[in-house]
Amino acid sequence: MSHLTRTKTSRRGFRLAAVAMAAGLALTACAGGDDGTGTDADAGDGGVATADPDAEATIKFSWWGSDTRHELTQQVIDNFMVKHPNITVVSDFTDWGGYWDKLATTVAAGDAPDVITHEERYLRDYATRGVLADLNEYSDIISLDSIDDSIIAAGQMEDGQYGIPTGVNAYSILADPQIFEEAGVEMPDDTTWTWEDYVEIAAEITANTPDGVYGAQDYGFNEPGFAIFARQRGEALYNEDGSLGFTAETLAEWWEISLELRDQGGTPPASTTVEIDAGGPEQSLVGTNSGAMAFFWTNQLGAVTNAAGRDLVLLRHPGESQFERTGMYFKPAMFLSMSARSQYPEAAATLIDYMLNDPEATEILLSDRGLPANTEVREAVRDQFSEVDQYAAEFLSDLETHIVDGLPVPPVGAGEVAEITRRINAEVLFDRLTPQQGAEQFIAEVSTATGN
Amino acid sequence: MSALGELATLRRKGPKGKVTMAPSERGDNKAAIFFLAPWFVGLGLITIGPMVASLFLSFTDYSLLQPPNWIALENYERMISDVRLHNSLRVTFTYVFVSVPLQLAAALALALFLDRGLRGLALYRSVFYLPSLLGGSVAIAILWRQIFGTNGLINQVLAFFGIQGQGWVSHPDYALGTLMILNVWTFGAPMIIFLAGLRQIPEMYYEAASIDGAGRIRQFMNITIPLLTPIIFFNLVLQVIGAFQAFTQAFVVSGGTGGPADSTMFYTLYLYQRGFTALDMGYASAMAWLLVVIVAGLTAVNFLLSKYWVFYND
Repeated sequence: MSHLTRTKTSRRGFRLAAVAMAAGLALTACAGGDDGTGTDADAGDGGVATADPDAEATIKFSWWGSDTRHELTQQVIDNFMVKHPNITVVSDFTDWGGYWDKLATTVAAGDAPDVITHEERYLRDYATRGVLADLNEYSDIISLDSIDDSIIAAGQMEDGQYGIPTGVNAYSILADPQIFEEAGVEMPDDTTWTWEDYVEIAAEITANTPDGVYGAQDYGFNEPGFAIFARQRGEALYNEDGSLGFTAETLAEWWEISLELRDQGGTPPASTTVEIDAGGPEQSLVGTNSGAMAFFWTNQLGAVTNAAGRDLVLLRHPGESQFERTGMYFKPAMFLSMSARSQYPEAAATLIDYMLNDPEATEILLSDRGLPANTEVREAVRDQFSEVDQYAAEFLSDLETHIVDGLPVPPVGAGEVAEITRRINAEVLFDRLTPQQGAEQFIAEVSTATGN
Repeated sequence: MSALGELATLRRKGPKGKVTMAPSERGDNKAAIFFLAPWFVGLGLITIGPMVASLFLSFTDYSLLQPPNWIALENYERMISDVRLHNSLRVTFTYVFVSVPLQLAAALALALFLDRGLRGLALYRSVFYLPSLLGGSVAIAILWRQIFGTNGLINQVLAFFGIQGQGWVSHPDYALGTLMILNVWTFGAPMIIFLAGLRQIPEMYYEAASIDGAGRIRQFMNITIPLLTPIIFFNLVLQVIGAFQAFTQAFVVSGGTGGPADSTMFYTLYLYQRGFTALDMGYASAMAWLLVVIVAGLTAVNFLLSKYWVFYND
């Protein structure tokens, strides 16, 4: 009996030991890999001046996004590797939620991707900490001739060019004309409508439609909406120097309007709002045919239209002609950046140039990374845009005369502000904080996060 | 570790009496050490190494992106005025102190029920144990979000009775409650240990008690509970430590935000956010060490209190 038990135990023990040993091996392998990277990186640094453009190179390219984007980008990468047989591109993609955690970890491990997709709120964090390369050093490879200067400027900081925008976006309203019609409410004139009109229209639509259909989705979860609201009043979310450029009163007013919307029935109850917010564009009110208006980026039009299964309309923000100036702006959809520690900076620069300037890449990507920043390429592929993309492109070009200026690169720590906004918005919507308290807490927390 | 120890003790004290070590087992010990060696290497590299590193980092301003600078106790000082940290402690303590006792009560109740020797016992045991295997998984957390959503199963059942429910996971007053229910539901592991404990209580005590006229409840209170206290104590210590480390459920159910309005912001989740989202790894390391101190302190209190209620029938 005891002998039998023992045999069993040691067999199990053996299996355990085997697993542990495999884990140990994997660990050693990792360590070996790390060493390799370190040495190679050193060699790469020394070799920059004499690099051979035809030398073999393996680079890693990271991006976030939907499955559609992953498929399209993989096609582009495959084409790129056919054109540059000496360069192997390793794809490294994830969804938006996990992207920044993963990037921070890989950078800390000394294993940063060579070409990094970036976003304005994180760009300064990474650039000022020496993670990103100054792309001006590769201006012989990356051509910026056909990209508008104001767009290029969005990736510039005091001492260099740390990212190049792939395309532009605008934060705007997506409206469902069918729900407007069902509610017997006329589409607003978006060049003249005020915030009061917005509240009124939203409440009227909720009142005239069946239960579960609302006039609008809450807008308070996202700080770009407030940036526009503040600009309309001649203020700003961030000043050029990264300090806060608005008063607590303005922010409180922004939340007061959203409480007005909630109380008059224009937006759903707070818990429904939180739930919708967690679901993404496909589960938004407009995406599920249960809401007439919601704030979105123009490059999300395609995804929301698909989900809704019917044509949607883009509208400008309310209040654009109500106050001191217009608040809307073009935002770089995302940036292409390069790791400062890339072993093969030339190869990485070649890929960035290809993504930005080769019509072959844009023919596949179309407006997935924003309306293409390269105006020549944009014109060349315009005919291939889907109807929805063409509509968005027209909406954006109409905005060109309307928009006064862009936003400065947000300060270090701006990545945290998205989370702060979402949290305090929930506190306000659930009446745990008044708009005024919310505004004061927001200012205190953002000041701490951005060190101002 | 001590879980296995306890169980081994129970097994050894089985009907055959005390088991003594045979000479040939000494050779086995050498083999055991040999085969355990990789595990010890792993313990050093994956557990102890990083712990020492995090202790060092907790005295620095490490941002993940730049080399750390020594800032002495600054991180620990910041904790004193960090209201979100205080909130996360409140959330975590509420979670532990409410859900662990409920979970143990559920586990004990089920164990008593299964101990009565039903037909198909093995099947029931597996069925009730299943949630423990699944409970920490991402898939179940996603399922939870659906069940407690505005249009979820719970509200559909409530609607059947004419009650208008709401989004439970998306309301700050109820979100933590749904996570507690999830934890209570994973009662399988303590249940199995309770079952093993119940099997150790000699039948003769019950026989004697029933001859003396003690009813079922009396027997339960005066025989089962006292003799089971070492097992209850063991489960309590283990589950308290486990509950303090809860992360996945809150991360998935709240979409990584700890929301709505920080109502499900577990300590571990806030630690993760500081470290990886806010690039404040020095502070996150300090938080990790505060957690170690808290859990060690609570476990020590548990052991001290055990003198007054745990009964060892040796």
